[in-house]
Amino acid sequence: MTDIILSVLLIFPIISGLIMFLIQKKTFNNIFLNIYALIHFICTLLLVFDKDIQNKGHYFAVDDTNKIFLLILSFIFLMVTIYNNGYQKHFKYKEKKTCHYLIMITAFVWAMTGAILATDLGIAWVLVEATTLSSAYLIYFNKTKNSIEAAWKYVFMCSIGIALAFIGIIFLNISSGNINTLNYAELANNAKLFNPFWLKLSFVFILFGFGTKMGLAPVHFWLPDAHSESPSPISALLSATLLNSAYLVILRVFKILEIANSSIEARIMLAVIGFLSLFITAVFVYHIKNYKRMLAYSSIENMGILAIGTSLGGAAYFAVILHLIGHSLAKASFFLSSGNILELYETKNIKSSSGILSANKVTGWLWIVSFLAICAFPTSVLFISEFIIIKTMILKEYYGLCALFAILLTFVIYGIGKAVIKMAYGKLNEEKTQIVNENKSKITVSMYIPQVIMLTMVFILGIYIPDFLNDIIQAALKGF
Amino acid sequence: MENGLENGFIILFGLTMLYLASTSRIISHIRVLITQGILLFLICLFGHSDTPLLNMAFLTVETIIVKSVIIPLFLYKIIKKTHANRDDEANIPHFYCLVISSIILLAGFLAPNYMAQFKTLSPIYFGVAISTIIISLWLITIKHKIVSNVIEFIAMENGIFLLSLSVAKEMPILVSLGVLLDVFIAVYILGLFVKEINKEFKDLEVSHLSELKDCSEND
Repeated sequence: MTDIILSVLLIFPIISGLIMFLIQKKTFNNIFLNIYALIHFICTLLLVFDKDIQNKGHYFAVDDTNKIFLLILSFIFLMVTIYNNGYQKHFKYKEKKTCHYLIMITAFVWAMTGAILATDLGIAWVLVEATTLSSAYLIYFNKTKNSIEAAWKYVFMCSIGIALAFIGIIFLNISSGNINTLNYAELANNAKLFNPFWLKLSFVFILFGFGTKMGLAPVHFWLPDAHSESPSPISALLSATLLNSAYLVILRVFKILEIANSSIEARIMLAVIGFLSLFITAVFVYHIKNYKRMLAYSSIENMGILAIGTSLGGAAYFAVILHLIGHSLAKASFFLSSGNILELYETKNIKSSSGILSANKVTGWLWIVSFLAICAFPTSVLFISEFIIIKTMILKEYYGLCALFAILLTFVIYGIGKAVIKMAYGKLNEEKTQIVNENKSKITVSMYIPQVIMLTMVFILGIYIPDFLNDIIQAALKGF
Repeated sequence: MENGLENGFIILFGLTMLYLASTSRIISHIRVLITQGILLFLICLFGHSDTPLLNMAFLTVETIIVKSVIIPLFLYKIIKKTHANRDDEANIPHFYCLVISSIILLAGFLAPNYMAQFKTLSPIYFGVAISTIIISLWLITIKHKIVSNVIEFIAMENGIFLLSLSVAKEMPILVSLGVLLDVFIAVYILGLFVKEINKEFKDLEVSHLSELKDCSEND
């Protein structure tokens, strides 16, 4: 049964992509994308709730670790598709171009699903590279000078990053001696026999390679450009799902190091990179004049927190999973709300898009609440996760790091908060009033609902985690 | 090292990197890529003659057809369309490029012989592969034309290919195929972007691609 569901999950998008390519009708293709999102979600639920999964898949399988990643991907994809129904109605492009947009979303999600489900490091590598190639078109979608620059940087940097990751895979292969496999489970089983020198060296390359994709500093430079230039639903997908799938690969290799008892250096590296990401966000977030770039920097910060949590270990793993869920939901809703603002104001400039509350009340509140969710305002689930990370640091007596962590987070929150509040409560200037009034009709109900659902979930998860989700998280903890 | 011919080809491969570092004509860069493809094929042929037929067929397809015919042909079409003939204004004069690349290559030749960890691998493979990767990465940072960046990216991929040959074990065939496909598509997409950039900016200088900044007022 599991095998059938897995095949549906991986083969349906290929077939539907082909049909979409052949038919090339905007409405039809959009319906197909919706069907795909629905099927993806249903298949994921079936896989996640199947308690006794028989894993026979050679290259793709569901295990304890990737369940939660798959669930996040599937849910965010469903939400983004609902939003996209309203968003793509107002494209001023030719029908063919809109069709290509929808096909590329299918390809992008397919590649991410494959990368998450892959049981083999090599396959995961191939599919992570495939995500780069399929999302390049989506980033370049608006065909402006800026978007071409962003897409070029994205493809070039991520290709080099992923090539470095491949060097890491070769080193891992050297370290594994006579065991000729890249299967995660088999690697983990034999990890104790590996040559520690090559294993550690391979982690350096894998961390930097997949870290480029994950958006960790100092290899994050593509991220603000790509997130700010792509259409808003794509920004949401990039930030809330793509970064996670790269993180999963790093996590899997990290686990092998942990089993082989050579994870000390890896932990130090993760912590340094994590703090560097926080630091870079804290420094750069102040001078930003473009609100989508600001959100992109916030993604770098949150990826940094994930890296720090992973490096701490112990109770922090629980925090990492909660943070993963919370960040994906909150950031997706933040980016989708920013899409509404962009539709209303036709600018990404923070200064010229003030007074959102008077322009469009719902979008204004979504914007503020998304900010509260991402800045870990209780009862946001991010509050719990960051609290546990700080607690773990104190228990392990890393007082200096704990202080640094808190200070950097405060800086980031202040930087983002200043811009968000200015935009929400500022005064709507006269020339913008006209533009906003013209564009008000573009914002349909389907462009509010996903954010409301996701934000409600973020704030409820902070006080109550349902049993089924708790089971999945506990299972994932074993995989960490 | 019993196979002298194989080593000779590897050394030649290393030397092609010096040529890549010291010329400014982009057509010569493409010729270097063709040479590298053929050399990689010869290295496979003489060094891995005992590999199974399927793997051998795959290696031949990858090195001869993709690396020395399809990708160079594609790049050639691009430079013809974009009229990008030379990359003159590198940050560092060619003479110094040559000197620095030679030092990196020399270090690649020497270092593995003196480190205990590398003893298990054949040092010459490993050294040349790593120095190729480092030289390519370094050249990417100093060249000004976007096409040259793509060419150096492919040179780096060739270095990685050589590195994967140095591991005595084979990668699973599916993985190799996937890697081949990805590299091929990556080059194709990069090529498409080169054309688009040429259309949008009128020439192919990297410096045009620096509009997106945190402090700029762009929309």
